[in-house]
Parts: sequence; C-alpha cells; structure tokens
Amino acid sequence: MPTQDLTFAIVGSGGDGVVTIGDFMAQAGARVGLHCMKVEAYGPQIRGGESSCTVRISAVPIFAQGDRADVVLAFNWADFGRFKSEIVASPNAVVLCEADDETPREEVETFLGTSEGARWIPVPFTRLAKESAGTTLAKNIVTLGICCELFGLPREGLIAAVTKKFGAKKAAVLEANLRGFEAGEAWAREYAGQVADKHLEYTPGEEPKLLMSGNELSAVAALHAGCRFFAGYPITPSSEVLQFLSEWMPRVGGHLVQTEDELAAIGAVIGASFAGVKSMTATSGPGLALMTEMLGLAAMAEVPAVIIDVQRGGPSTGLPTKSEQADLWQALFGSHGDAPRVVLAPADVEDCFHATVAAFNIAEETQLPVIVLSDQFIAQRKETLSMLTLDHEVVGRQVPTAGELEGYQRYRDTKTGISPMTWPGMKGGEYQTNGLEHDEAGRPSSMHLVHEKMNAKRYRKLRVVRDKYSFFRTYGPENADLGIVCWGSAKGPVKEAVLRANGRGEKVSAFVPQMLYPFPNHDFHHYLSGVRDLIIFELSYSAQFYKYLRTFEDLPDGHTFLFKRSGGKNLTVGEVEDKIKKVLEIGNLRREVLV
Amino acid sequence: MSATVGSVKFKPGDYKSSLNPVWCPGCGDFGVLNALYRAMSQLEIEPWNAVILSGIGCSSRLPGYVDTYGFNGVHGRALTLATGVKVARPELTVIAVGGDGDGLAIGGNHLIHTARRNLDLTYILMDNEIYGLTKGQVAPTTPTGDKTKSTFWGNPEPAVDPCELAISTGATWVARGFSGDVKLTTQLIADAIRHNGFSFLNVMSPCVTWRGDHQFKALKEILAYLPEDHDRSDRHEALKYTREKGVLTTGVLYEVKEPSFNDRLEEMKAQAMAGRKEPTTRDILATFLPKF
Repeated sequence: MPTQDLTFAIVGSGGDGVVTIGDFMAQAGARVGLHCMKVEAYGPQIRGGESSCTVRISAVPIFAQGDRADVVLAFNWADFGRFKSEIVASPNAVVLCEADDETPREEVETFLGTSEGARWIPVPFTRLAKESAGTTLAKNIVTLGICCELFGLPREGLIAAVTKKFGAKKAAVLEANLRGFEAGEAWAREYAGQVADKHLEYTPGEEPKLLMSGNELSAVAALHAGCRFFAGYPITPSSEVLQFLSEWMPRVGGHLVQTEDELAAIGAVIGASFAGVKSMTATSGPGLALMTEMLGLAAMAEVPAVIIDVQRGGPSTGLPTKSEQADLWQALFGSHGDAPRVVLAPADVEDCFHATVAAFNIAEETQLPVIVLSDQFIAQRKETLSMLTLDHEVVGRQVPTAGELEGYQRYRDTKTGISPMTWPGMKGGEYQTNGLEHDEAGRPSSMHLVHEKMNAKRYRKLRVVRDKYSFFRTYGPENADLGIVCWGSAKGPVKEAVLRANGRGEKVSAFVPQMLYPFPNHDFHHYLSGVRDLIIFELSYSAQFYKYLRTFEDLPDGHTFLFKRSGGKNLTVGEVEDKIKKVLEIGNLRREVLV
Repeated sequence: MSATVGSVKFKPGDYKSSLNPVWCPGCGDFGVLNALYRAMSQLEIEPWNAVILSGIGCSSRLPGYVDTYGFNGVHGRALTLATGVKVARPELTVIAVGGDGDGLAIGGNHLIHTARRNLDLTYILMDNEIYGLTKGQVAPTTPTGDKTKSTFWGNPEPAVDPCELAISTGATWVARGFSGDVKLTTQLIADAIRHNGFSFLNVMSPCVTWRGDHQFKALKEILAYLPEDHDRSDRHEALKYTREKGVLTTGVLYEVKEPSFNDRLEEMKAQAMAGRKEPTTRDILATFLPKF
C-alpha cells in the first residue's frame, strides 16, 4: 500500500549537500501542489559541521513537521548522533545509510527508535557519485535519484531543479549531475519492491504552491501593510526579515537601516513613525530585552510601532538556533512603569502574514507598540502556501481632521483614549512629545493627577483593541471531554493530534489564542464552559503561559493538566497524543468511580 | 506663528514656544537656545518642517522650548530617533540636541555610528563637563582630578574631546562654540544646518550650579579663535585644535564634502525602482514560487 504522507530526515556534514536535498524535494513537491514542510537544524559551526533537514511531503494538508521520519538518509552516523532525541525514526522506517560507515547497527537503532520492521539499506553514496558523475560532490544528486525511484517523488521537478542548479555552469557539469541522478535511480530499482509502502501516491495539482518561511512572510506582510521604514540589528533567528527587506524596501520606495544595536533599531523605528511613516523592527529575545526601555517610550509618547520578536531558547545567548516559548512574560510585561502594548502570536507560517498586517493596523489605529511574538519553529521552517489566502485589509495612518487641528492638542483625552496625531510637515500640528509624563498638550508634568488621568487614557486604548479584534482559533467539537489550550507554534502538533483524536471518535478540542494581550477573555471563558478536562501545552520550563492564564481565569479546579518543557526541540504530535490518551483515561476512570 | 513682511519670514521670537525653560538662571543653555532661534530665523526654516530631538539631561529639555515638531526621548538615544526621522523623511530639517553625558557616555555608540554614516543632520552637544540634572556627578568631559559629587577623591578618568571623536569617526562638519558668544554660536548653528551630511557642534555651555560661577569666566579666559588661514578640509590640521589644557579653540575645525547617508540611500532607491512600477504583494509573493 502506497502512502500519502512521507517524512524524510537527512543528516550529514558540510559538503554532503543536505540542505540542497531538502530544498529540491520541497520545491519539487510545491511545484505539483503537494503540501510540504521543511525544517533545518544546524550545529553551532558557521560553516561545515553537522546539519540536518527534515522534509515532510504530503498529498493531504499537514500541520506539523512529522514526528518520526519514514525515511532516514544518513551520510555519517557520527553526525546523526548529534541530533539524538531530536530526530527519531518511525519503527518501520527505511534507513539509507552510507555503506562505508562502520558504526554498528545496534548502536544506532537505540537512538533512532527503529524496530524489527525497519528496512536497512546500505548505500555506496560516495562510490556511486564518483563512478557516475566523476566527483563525490554529486553525492546529494545521486541521493535524490535514489529517493525519486524508491519513494515516487516528482521526477520532472527534481530533474528541473538539477538542471536549474547546474545549467549555468559548463555543459559537462550538468551532464555529470544528470548521470548521477540516473545512476541513483538505476541502483535503487532492485530495492523498490522492499519499500513499496513508502511510495508516495498523489495527483499532481494544477497550481504550484509558494514555499516560504514565517520570517519571509512577515517581511512581505510588512510591505503589504504599507511599512516603508525598517531598522534592525542582525540576530538569529530573525535576520531573514532584515535581509529580505534590504532588497525589497527600496523597491517599494521605502528605507532600511541596519543600526549599530537594537537600542538604535527601536529608536529609529519610533523616530520614523513619529515622522508619519509606518515602521517596523524584527529581533529575538535578547534584542527585545534591549528594546524594552524604548517600548516604554512608544507607549508613553503614543507612537505606533511594530516589533517582531522571533523567540529562541533563552535566557541570555541560550539556544540561538532553536525554538522556545519563553519570551512570553517579557513581551507581555517587560516594562518599567505601566506601559500598554498589544501582543499578537502567529501560530503557523501563514499566520505570520495576517498577524503582521494586523499588528500594523492595530498600531496605527491605537498609536500603541504592537509585538508580534513569533518563534524559530514558524519563522525559519519553509511551508507550502496558497497565494489565494494571502490577503488582508490594511488600515492607513489616521489623518487629523481640520476640526481637530483647531486648537490642536496632541494628547487630547478622548472617550477611546485615542488622540489625533499629526506629523512633521503638517502646518498647525506642531507639538513636542515626551518620554516624560505630559498633559494633553504634551507639556511635561510630574503631577499625580495628570499621571493618573493619562495612564487611564493610554490604557483605555486597549479596550478599542479588545472590542474590535479577537484573534483565536478553535478545533474539534463544541462540547468536548478534553480541551487543549496552547499558543504559537505549539498549535501545529496540537491541531494534528486533535484532528486524529476526532477521527477516532474522541471528543477533544483546542483553543489557540492569537492575540495574547489584550487576551480574548470572553471567548476563552466561553470555550472553557464547553470542556470537562483541560491540558495546557507550552515550551516554557517555568510554565509562563499557564501562569499567565491563571491571572485572569480560574482554570477548572482538579481538571487542569499541564504539559510544559524546555524548548530546543519542537513539540511533537506524539507528545500531544500521549497526554491526550492519559487525560482521557483519567476522565473515564473518574466517571466510573463517580457512577 | 506670524509670518512677517520683508526678507525675514520668521523672527527669532516666532520660534519660541509657550513653555518656560526649567534651566537655572545663568545656565549656558539659554545662549544656545537663543542662538538656535536666530539661526533658524536666518535660514527661514518653516517650523512645521523642522524636528528637534533630544535624549535626557538639562539641555535635552530644549525641544520643548522651540515651536517646531519636537521629541524629548530617552537617555542617550536622541540620535537613534533622529536617524528614523531623517531617513524616513529626508526633506525635513532635523536637529538633535543634548548634553555631554547623554551624547558621550550612555549615547556614545550612536554618535560614532551616526557620524560614520554621515547622516544629514545637525547634532548640537551642549557641554558643561558635568551631569546637571542628576545633580553634579562626573561626566566624560570632566577634567581629570576634578572633585564632583561622584568623585570624592577627584576624577580618576581622562576626559574625551567630543570634536576629536566626531572627526575621527566620520563627521563631515565639526565645530566648537561657546554659549557665552551667541553671535558665534548662531553662525555655527546656521552653518551646521546648511551642511549636507553629519554636522557636529560642541558648544561649551557652563553649568552655574554644579561647576560654579567660575566655569564661565574660566572658559572665557582660555577661549581662542582659529587662525584665519586654517585649512578646515585637512583632517590633520583640524585635529591640532583638540582640547588642550588652557586653550579652547572655537570655530569650524573641519569640513569636507562627501555624499551623505541620505544621498546614498536615495541613489539606491532610484536604482531599485528604475523604470519599474511599484511591485504589488502578489508580485513579491510570486518570487517564492518554485524556482524551476
């Protein structure tokens, strides 16, 4: 029986071409409309060193990276060992490993997680490359040929990819690589019968799909939203936003500065926005920490600003290339003084588009800083998307009316807390703004009464956000035996586990807030009334999300369970399923006892 | 704002805001403020097209006293805010102001990089060799050995010369002034604003409260003017007038013509947009379709 859903795990050293293999597979899949997700992970080396790539290719929609690899491609078991517990194979996986590697199979099996049903096929990758293409460099192309033959990957797309990559070089180079591809196919033919259950079955779609990362999509979303100024400082895993915009910002007539540090980045963003131009920066946890003082300035001076925080493992330098959900409190509460802000949390790659545009809309409507709290897992993985879903209404900068300019007061205390904002160039709208507390005209004041009044005015703006927007998603039945709450990239594995549970007839549901501040309290409250038991999933050792929920909601007493752990490894569907199973059992036992 | 008939569009007083300065009587910053009003009047700057930005400190209160757009930001970050304004809106007149602690200690890194970029704005650093607002602690320009509230046994650190720093990090117009000489300071501010590129003006601005009445007199005594034949385009010549004990040379030490950061950015933008219509979101997304 062929399959509709296949996950590959590829590990090698620099020079093995691991990333190229993954990239070609995903692009060839996207070309024929398959659903693909590609996740790369590296060791700490700048060049060389071990690298891994998992690619999931499916004929049906997918939401997670694939817990267990159906196919393992190992050029070198020593490198593979460095991803122990992060890359696990399914028990009956097909393992293609370098024939010359003498590591004993038993040693590998323990950390790979394979069982009797696994098929081990030693492949002379190096020899095949040398014999067919005349160079060991063609090892990855030979591998693609083997995979194409054994697993039914889109051949036309793979050939086109090879042709594109080597087409610009001497004809002999392209020919050699195509020979390598075909040699791989020919070598694999005799094994095809053994692995028929891993043969991908699909109907090619008419439309090719986009293949994008969350960072790339956030950057495009910013341009879509009318962002025409970006300032940033390079930091993993957010730098792709800066890099992408360095090419495209000038193309749309905007400006970009790579500043000397994150302090300057947020300062320049506030300056540009004060000057009337929609502005954004992107960073990661350590950078957000440096920006915190000026987040307070944006709140105080009421300057719209969008800040993307792509979370990585922390604290301090932490795990720069791996994901975690532990910047939550920093984003929500990191502040001196009472500094209102809005925090949005995209839960997948596509969300990065909508959340970023929504962030601009809210920032412009309310003159608040808005943080888009993304994380490495959604920001750097590549996922297939349909162009059609990528549109979002854009709110422009609000222009003061002639009446508002009459006796203009920049911080007029209005019912909504939102005051008319002018910008340089507008005659009659001149004002001096301040990080100091100030009155309605912007004049500095240390009076308690002014402070109380202006705090209330600034916080009132959050009501506008809460009344107008309520970003959250739910999955599963309305009334459920078990409800799950999670946020951000934990959504993918949770959604997949919930849908599988529903497929088995289990009444499991999920609530995923995409706006964390202000929180969609009413919707969450309503959701809780329809579930009996509750599990909270998060990748934060100190359970920041769970504790945050408890600040405004009494979670079901004795019915609330918590799954939390450190980041560094993405949440897996298996972890979610395991917990679902256990809590459902507890629920059933309890019912038995009570009856 | 009343526009007047004749050659003067705005009188110096037209730039005065309704806010009264919080500065101590006799503060040097009054001289700088008056010079700024006069320079803006000379240049006929329309108040709505000018932005004055600052950090924190006594002198950083200045934007509130000028009736243009103004931004009194956070400590040390005036130049970062100014960078955003000037890059996003190159047509505006942008002036950053602040003191020696704000610009050389907490904000020193931004001075280096804004100078290096040669961003087209004017930075006026009012230098009183002390932290005034926090009431008398040692600053990066306090002479070695001076007793301040935070150097009970005398200042153990050497002072930095702001002009030397600005010249060596890429500023293309560097001058030293004295707030007691309003005529000179007016001229320097006007020249600084006219300059295309990063113009840095270090104005000695005495603090009567924490440096004592004698600072004004002492500065006046060591004041000197540049020789008539000073070649301001020569970096080495300019560096000869760094602050030595006992001499304080005022005037434009250094001036060269280089493309500003804004010139370069606008050139790149023109190149990026040349002959093409602005790409739509769809056009941008299409670049992520499979490449083969």
